[in-house]
Amino acid sequence: MSNSYSDSIPLNASSQSDIDEIENLINASVQSGPATVLPARPLSPPRASIPVSTSPFIQSNIPPPPPLSSSSSNQKVPYVPDAPTPPPPVGNSSSILATGFGPTPNTLTEPVWDTVKRDLSRIVSNLKLVVFPNPFREDPGKALRDWDLWGPFFFVVFLGLMLSWSASVKKSEVFAVAFALLAAGAVILTLNVLLLGGHIIFFQSLSLLGYCLFPLDIGALICMLKDNVLVKLIVVCVTLAWSLWAAYPFISSAVNLRRKALALYPVFLMYVSVGFLIIAID
Amino acid sequence: MDLSQPIEENYANPKTCFFHVFFKASALAFYILSALFADSFVIIFVITVVLSALDFWVVKNVSGRILVGLRWWNEINDQGESTWKFECLDQESLALINPKDSWLFWWTLYLNAACWTILGIFSLVRFQADYVLVVGVCLSLGIANIIGFTKCRKDAKKKIQAFATQTIASRVSSTIQSAFSIV
Repeated sequence: MSNSYSDSIPLNASSQSDIDEIENLINASVQSGPATVLPARPLSPPRASIPVSTSPFIQSNIPPPPPLSSSSSNQKVPYVPDAPTPPPPVGNSSSILATGFGPTPNTLTEPVWDTVKRDLSRIVSNLKLVVFPNPFREDPGKALRDWDLWGPFFFVVFLGLMLSWSASVKKSEVFAVAFALLAAGAVILTLNVLLLGGHIIFFQSLSLLGYCLFPLDIGALICMLKDNVLVKLIVVCVTLAWSLWAAYPFISSAVNLRRKALALYPVFLMYVSVGFLIIAID
Repeated sequence: MDLSQPIEENYANPKTCFFHVFFKASALAFYILSALFADSFVIIFVITVVLSALDFWVVKNVSGRILVGLRWWNEINDQGESTWKFECLDQESLALINPKDSWLFWWTLYLNAACWTILGIFSLVRFQADYVLVVGVCLSLGIANIIGFTKCRKDAKKKIQAFATQTIASRVSSTIQSAFSIV
């Protein structure tokens, strides 16, 4: 473009360089313009639409796939057209007509049902990653990338409820103690790892410790149904081992080798005490 | 037209507003009423905390989006660091947001936190550690939403300013360009 200017208009050298500068400015602003015009970030949708059986986490850089934009249509304003039905325990089911905010779909305009499904599938996939054997356990730093606290919340409340129902006296205290122990324990364990110089993110670790409670939840459920001491002992031992196996790679990869035992021992202690609570409740 | 217009002048999204307030109010109401009638603590705890958690989810994912056009969440990037992400509607849609909606949104958030703080003080004074636990959980959920949305709003304002200066700069440069082409 600068050539055309110099061809058609006789300019002296300083004006030409000024024009070049202005052109560069124009080009720079035009190029960066579209990036700033769309304020919404499409990063989280890709994780939602990927089926749970594959690993959702590695693909966080992939641009959003087409199915998500299927809900975007022609209305100008985000608008709730029909009544949200009385919400099921996990959320509303009203649908929102998404707007056409430029070419990329974004989480601001997705229907509510999509959000619910996304969160639910995230819980399930996190659970599978943490508790069940899968090839991505070798890279635990990346595995729990999509942490969420809903799963741990449900598991902690469930465990407290199981313990409370199994108790014949002092049900409220049992529940409160179980909840407080697990919540405070998770926080303290996370701080322990961080203070040992470990590289783990606070909420990620809370999420992990919560998900590792899942086997103990199952153990508590079985113990509540079957009151035999021997059965309880065996079940709790098995589920305790499962919990510890689940938690081990995440915690041990977060700290350096010499401090592994220091980081793992308190986790072991907490889960063993929860196991004792389950056995000892009568 | 006559029937719908007064509704639009009041709240653009009445059902979302209702749900936004409903969970907060029911958590508070349940807590207060049941504390008076001294039911089993476990039930109080579970129901109050579940209602508070549902309210947190609704505010974060639904009413934040619809009433004020803001969204926040946390992501862990490839380097393993956690970053907070904020999302906002673009300029035209932000201008279309009903002011009554956003007024309701922000004020109920603040009021909710204030009520839980007062209830927490009552429980502390009565030395009821169990109830302090419940209040603590509900309060932290409320405060998390307040902080998240306030940061998101500030981020949105910054983006709008940046976008505005960007537009002005590009318009100035395009006028200069057209001026030169005429000459």
